[in-house]
Amino acid sequence: MKLLVVEDEVKTGDYLQQGLTESGFVVDLARTGLDGHHLALTEPYDLIILDVMLPDVDGWRIVQALRAAQATTPVLFLTARDSVEDRVKGLDLGADDYLIKPFAFSELLARVRTLLRRGMTPVFNDQLQVADLLLDLPRRRAQRHGVRINLTNKEFALLELLVRRQGEVLPRSLIASQVWDMNFDSDTNVIDVAIRRLRAKIDDDFVPKLIHTVRGMGYMLDVNGED
Amino acid sequence: MKRRPISLALRLTVSIGAVIVVVLLVFGWIVERSIDQHFVQQDVDELAAVVQAVAQILVEPQTNNEQLKRRLASAVSGHHNAQFHLTKTSGEVIYATPGSDLSGFLQTSRVSDALDIHSVSNWQDQGHHYRGAVLMLPGGVAVSGQPLLLVVATDIDFHLHYLEDFRIYLKLITLVACLIAIFATWFAVYQGHAPLRRISGEIRRIKSDHLSIRLAPTTVPVELTELAVSFNDMLDRIEEGFQRLSNFSADIAHELRSPITNLRTQTEVALSQTRDVAQYREILYSNLEEYERMAKMVGDMLFLAQAEKQQLQGEYGQVNLAEEVQVLFEYFEAWAEERAVTLDCTGPAVWVYGNRLMLRRALSNLLANAMRYTAEGERVSVTLELHGSDRVLIQVANPSAEIAPEHLPKLFDRFYRADPSRQHKGVGAGLGLAIVKSIVMAHGGRVSANYIDQQIVFRIELPRAFDSVG
Repeated sequence: MKLLVVEDEVKTGDYLQQGLTESGFVVDLARTGLDGHHLALTEPYDLIILDVMLPDVDGWRIVQALRAAQATTPVLFLTARDSVEDRVKGLDLGADDYLIKPFAFSELLARVRTLLRRGMTPVFNDQLQVADLLLDLPRRRAQRHGVRINLTNKEFALLELLVRRQGEVLPRSLIASQVWDMNFDSDTNVIDVAIRRLRAKIDDDFVPKLIHTVRGMGYMLDVNGED
Repeated sequence: MKRRPISLALRLTVSIGAVIVVVLLVFGWIVERSIDQHFVQQDVDELAAVVQAVAQILVEPQTNNEQLKRRLASAVSGHHNAQFHLTKTSGEVIYATPGSDLSGFLQTSRVSDALDIHSVSNWQDQGHHYRGAVLMLPGGVAVSGQPLLLVVATDIDFHLHYLEDFRIYLKLITLVACLIAIFATWFAVYQGHAPLRRISGEIRRIKSDHLSIRLAPTTVPVELTELAVSFNDMLDRIEEGFQRLSNFSADIAHELRSPITNLRTQTEVALSQTRDVAQYREILYSNLEEYERMAKMVGDMLFLAQAEKQQLQGEYGQVNLAEEVQVLFEYFEAWAEERAVTLDCTGPAVWVYGNRLMLRRALSNLLANAMRYTAEGERVSVTLELHGSDRVLIQVANPSAEIAPEHLPKLFDRFYRADPSRQHKGVGAGLGLAIVKSIVMAHGGRVSANYIDQQIVFRIELPRAFDSVG
């Protein structure tokens, strides 16, 4: 997967490149709007991460040029300007998502992966499996090592999200938004408690442990995780 | 464009000036009338003296016609403007003042029995003005008892000239008096507005760094007291807003100081000697937590700033609060169960018009706040009800230690924490309830906190949605 990052802030650009590269992407970094504009229009990318505020050619003009050239490459905006009009403008011009600075890198990563997945044909499986954990989606049942586990509706939704995005660090805000439709930070440890209870049901009595806490970032479901 | 209203000075000058002009004109008219009357009376008196003299002569026995004529001629002596004709009813002239021609007057005038103001009339002859009367006199012995017709008149040119001059003089005086009066009015109005100019001068001294200046309502005229008082009230509000704003900036600086201190100290200590990887990781994790707290605080403050500038836009529509509460209960379920806190909601499905996302955020903050301060085994109860005909009332109650009444309204202040020791124990930045308040205000509602029966009750009033589908 090849990404383009257009970011004039030196440190931010460096860390975005490093972080995304370490997460398995091939990353081109453009430090000016002009370079970004040129690269976006000439090179094929799977996704473009654009800073809105650039000294020469701003992010809006790049996405405009891109859409004018009939390119459907997903675009994610990074912006320090948190006003409704700005967001609406960005989305109107053809951006696919936006993140407001300061953002958590794990959040950016999760959104990037969501956008990249959007283009793929979804796989309609009736079952999801990780190690010996089995999810029966139509009947909303879970079993581990052949043992049926009773989950509440929300617990199942949470587990399904973790399994579907296996190996990804999911920030708490993303979990709250996807499972409970809470699109704001609630100032509580609700997600931690929910994860703890889910863990008690699917991990406590089994090996290997599947749900892992990534400190300061969120949670991840994986067969081999650091914890 | 709406026309600017006429100036106060002009308005007052015109209205007062008009009244003065009318009064002066009426006064002048009365003076003129009374002088005119006075002259009429004077003429009547003169004519009466002549009539009296003629009548007197007629009752005295006269030797012959010549003597009678001489006596009659002497009747107008001393009244050199007066003249008369004495004729028999047959038309035969007994006496006529020499050089006089009163025949025209005799034809146009009616005959009276006595002489008074109403029986006299005026006429004009050969450029002269006369006032006179036609009288029927009972005949005396001098004319052997026959009734006689007496036409008596006096020249009034002199009076008319005087009146003419007087009228011009009066008009001039009235004009000058009007001008003086109008100018005096204008001056008085201008002087009357002096307190306004003084107040304006005082107001001009008020700058953002001198917001404590107030107008003294007792030193201005009574009529301006209310203005001064309401102006002072406005200044109070502005000063309060200003104060809150600068407190807010100070609070931000203060609130950011501690995470920055933590980060800085930690990093400096970490760098002061070589450590193993695990220690470095620990430090970075700890830093990450601080960053997260700062990022959240900045986000919340931006939200509040936007709410205050009325910039919270987004989709508005019908929101079923009962449903929202249920969704939030589901979200908080695990946390509540773990802390053995019961959540319950009573009341009908109430609908409000608003932004679902924002209202959910407000309710979530309220619930989180209530749960956070509820001891294990206790209950957080939400009550929904219709309040009056057009309001919806949401109450969130939880058991709490007593909170002094003066602290209750402050709970909605930014960075206010009822218990200072709770600071930085994962409780958030102390902006949760401030956000609740700003969201509710943006929806045209009201918030309040009350302490009732060992419970702290947060009350939210929102405008009810009427054309609700449910």
